[in-house]
Amino acid sequence: MMGSDGRNRNTAGGSLSAGSGSGRAKKNKRKRSSVWILMMPLYAFTIVFVLFPLLYMGFLSFMSRAEVWGFVNEFTLGNYKRILEPLYLNTFKDSLKLAFISTIVNIFIGYPYGYFMARLDEKWKRIMMLLLMIPFWTSGLIRLNGWIIVFRSNGILDKLLMGLHLTDAPLKLLYTYPMVVFGMIYALMPFMILAVYSSAEKMDWTLVEASRDLGAGAAETFFRVTLPLTMPGLLSGVILTFIPSMGLFFVADLLGGNKIVLIGNIIQQQLTKGRNLPFAAALSVVLMVLTSLLIALYRRIAGTRQLEGLI
Amino acid sequence: MKKYKSILAVLLSMILPLAMFAGCGSSGGQSGSEEAAEGETEGADQYKGQSLNIYTWDGMFPQDVLDDFQSRYGVTINYSNFDYDEDMLAKLEETKGGEYDVVIADDYILELVNNEGLSMELDKSKIPNWSNLDSRFLGLFYDPEDKYDAPYGAGIPLIVYDPAATDVKIEGFADLWDPSLKDNVALIGNYRVIDGFTLQTLGGTLNSEEVDLIEKAGEKLIELAPNIRAINDTNTQDLLISGEVAAAFLYTSQVTETIKARPDFVQVYPKEGLGFGTMCMFIPSQAPNADLAHEFINYILDSEISAKCFEYMGYYSTTKTAEEFISEEMKPLLILPEDAPGGTAIENISQEANDAHEKIWAAFQNACGQS
Amino acid sequence: MRKSRFPAIYLAVITALTFVPIVVTIIYSFNASKITSVWGGFSLSWYKELFRDRDLFRALKNSLILGFAACLISAVIGTLGAVGVKRTGWKINDFISYISRLPIMIPEIILGMVYLAVFSFMGFKFGMLTLIIAHTSFCIPYIFMMVSDRLIGMDPQIEEAARDLGANARQVFFDITLPSITPAILSGLLLSFAMSFDDVVISVFVTGSTVNTLPIKIYTRMKTGVTPEINALAAIMIAVTMIILFLNRLYQRKHD
Repeated sequence: MMGSDGRNRNTAGGSLSAGSGSGRAKKNKRKRSSVWILMMPLYAFTIVFVLFPLLYMGFLSFMSRAEVWGFVNEFTLGNYKRILEPLYLNTFKDSLKLAFISTIVNIFIGYPYGYFMARLDEKWKRIMMLLLMIPFWTSGLIRLNGWIIVFRSNGILDKLLMGLHLTDAPLKLLYTYPMVVFGMIYALMPFMILAVYSSAEKMDWTLVEASRDLGAGAAETFFRVTLPLTMPGLLSGVILTFIPSMGLFFVADLLGGNKIVLIGNIIQQQLTKGRNLPFAAALSVVLMVLTSLLIALYRRIAGTRQLEGLI
Repeated sequence: MKKYKSILAVLLSMILPLAMFAGCGSSGGQSGSEEAAEGETEGADQYKGQSLNIYTWDGMFPQDVLDDFQSRYGVTINYSNFDYDEDMLAKLEETKGGEYDVVIADDYILELVNNEGLSMELDKSKIPNWSNLDSRFLGLFYDPEDKYDAPYGAGIPLIVYDPAATDVKIEGFADLWDPSLKDNVALIGNYRVIDGFTLQTLGGTLNSEEVDLIEKAGEKLIELAPNIRAINDTNTQDLLISGEVAAAFLYTSQVTETIKARPDFVQVYPKEGLGFGTMCMFIPSQAPNADLAHEFINYILDSEISAKCFEYMGYYSTTKTAEEFISEEMKPLLILPEDAPGGTAIENISQEANDAHEKIWAAFQNACGQS
Repeated sequence: MRKSRFPAIYLAVITALTFVPIVVTIIYSFNASKITSVWGGFSLSWYKELFRDRDLFRALKNSLILGFAACLISAVIGTLGAVGVKRTGWKINDFISYISRLPIMIPEIILGMVYLAVFSFMGFKFGMLTLIIAHTSFCIPYIFMMVSDRLIGMDPQIEEAARDLGANARQVFFDITLPSITPAILSGLLLSFAMSFDDVVISVFVTGSTVNTLPIKIYTRMKTGVTPEINALAAIMIAVTMIILFLNRLYQRKHD
């Protein structure tokens, strides 16, 4: 891997990164000098439409709130001080807890799905991928509404269970914590599945067979061969599910009956009823830093150094 | 590549419904044209080809009312939506009051809009139907001289309960604390309303600004937590109708919906007093088509048209002369009785007080989650 | 080795579960009652209502245009970016790819608010253009991540071999790299289309006076009451997707 990287760096980066591995530069003097142009749309878009707006958000978080809307050009640390109030700290804690729980459950459900899907033949892979995505092209709210019809008191599930004489009273499942976890898992499952799938799909299955042939058990093969090989996918799945679950306040609203306050809810509330743009910006900055730290930490623990492009 | 053809096919298929509906859309427009004939005489041509940008929540006008206006004046209506009043405020601030011709929003935000100079003074000479308005909804805090805002529907949150599901005879907000209602109450998610009513049970008012009192209300709210099954701003009525809860505190349109579905349920005007909110139409200061906007407001304030709109929306009529056109069975739901208990409008309060509200509300939500 | 049937059963069960709310939605689109909690008998009235609702279809059209445009642009930017990042290996790449991923890491509402402020600062007119930019910003990360993830596991020697055999950069890209990352691009596309097609919060802020999207319509309508009409629309969209899929299979079977 290093070989190709080093070579590309020279020809592509030109003088910019001529310092590293310049010895090979002359050997491959072909028309590959323009690889860096490929990244320019990404660079341009990211700088203009992501970095700049985010810097603006960072700037806002140090401003004072305006009477009606917007902000006043007065520097303050007050927004960050306010986050240290127990109310907001607790909300961060609760959001993290919920995100952890739903991500872990999601791993257990989504990983096997993505893994099994990758073992199907081409035809079924295609079919499964479409079947997986079709529900998610329908509005999330409509789907949540569908679940509400299923789970509410005397709803479809209750009627079914009572009809089978498995229960004799409504279960009252709706508006409970497990329901919120369920909603999060449902909303974010395809991210986990697709991420695991894409890395399991390109995995070299002969390694698994070789391991089995050499006498390793199924479990040993899984933990020593399959899991490490699919780790990049699993990790991107974790990131794609963990982060949104801190902000998905829709789910907490509709399935949790608004009884669980996530950091997303607080930001939402500050921007609407509170009309406090700077404070909302400060909360977002903290959330962003927090998630970045968690990812860095996870990366260190998992020791997946080959993930350079990912995180 | 062939193997991904099917994926492409699916993506393309999402476009197909469009083609189907593009056709039927244009035919739908004809329906209102017969009615339009009578209005044709008033030199309606002057607006031909213009467009009217309406900005409000979805479902504020029945489709045929919009259709009729479009065919009568030969204009196109662009109906776009916001989610929260504050989103609208933000948009108007950023576009300096441009882009939109008619906006409909809640009273408390109108006060801010007017103060910020984002709304245009209405030219009453262009709105002869102004006189149709119910004077009870004029001269309110957000627009004391009725310069900017034309009322369009009023809401009064009420308690509704299923007498078969509870032994408690609910007469006021304080009755919701009854222990027998454990896990059996649903509330709307508007904290100014819920906190406000709690303040009223403590002798305050909906607009109390004393932080101490608000904090006391917060403590009292925590005691309500065990009774709360859900706090929900949308479709709250469903919880009541489906039997998920025995009692609910609902917005007016939801009350209307509930009583229509279950006439046996009881609608309670809380004895602590009512809180009400008015929605209004206004014209942003830089509206591209202000004349047409005046015409639209006048059109909507027409007695018959108003009646149609209120029946569709399920809010209290703010157009006095519309009352006779409202169908008999809808009358009790849409006409606010002259002798209804006195109501207080929910006004803007100081930032300090508002911050205190936010805090007690979040604590209340958390307490509901714990219990 | 005997093939276990467990994977097939597992996939079938989970997939079936994801369809539950869809099936419920379709069933309830035939509900005569306006209230979802009451079954008022079978009726097609919501479909009639739906076909009269031009606003909804205009919104659907906008959403489809928006979804396709944003996905296409982000597919190009994201894929090229991922390939370039992998090949050049600049130090600063890490930083840029981290930044490019942030739009999916912060709550939508703050992103919407910030875009509202930034676009008006930049002097853009709110409408389709601003919608496409905003949606592109949160679609790129999905494609970028999927493709990068795929590239990491790719055997670099294949590309090298091709080059040694005299292929130029473009040939290598189109003949070697692109085919092997296509599945990743497609899963990224599917995800980002789903995200774009479902976004309310950001769209509300960056849209203009003449453009409404379907999710905004659905969301604000659900606020004002239940609308079986929306269920009917969802049912039609699912049905159309399924039918096309089925016809496509038939067609393929014939040609195989």
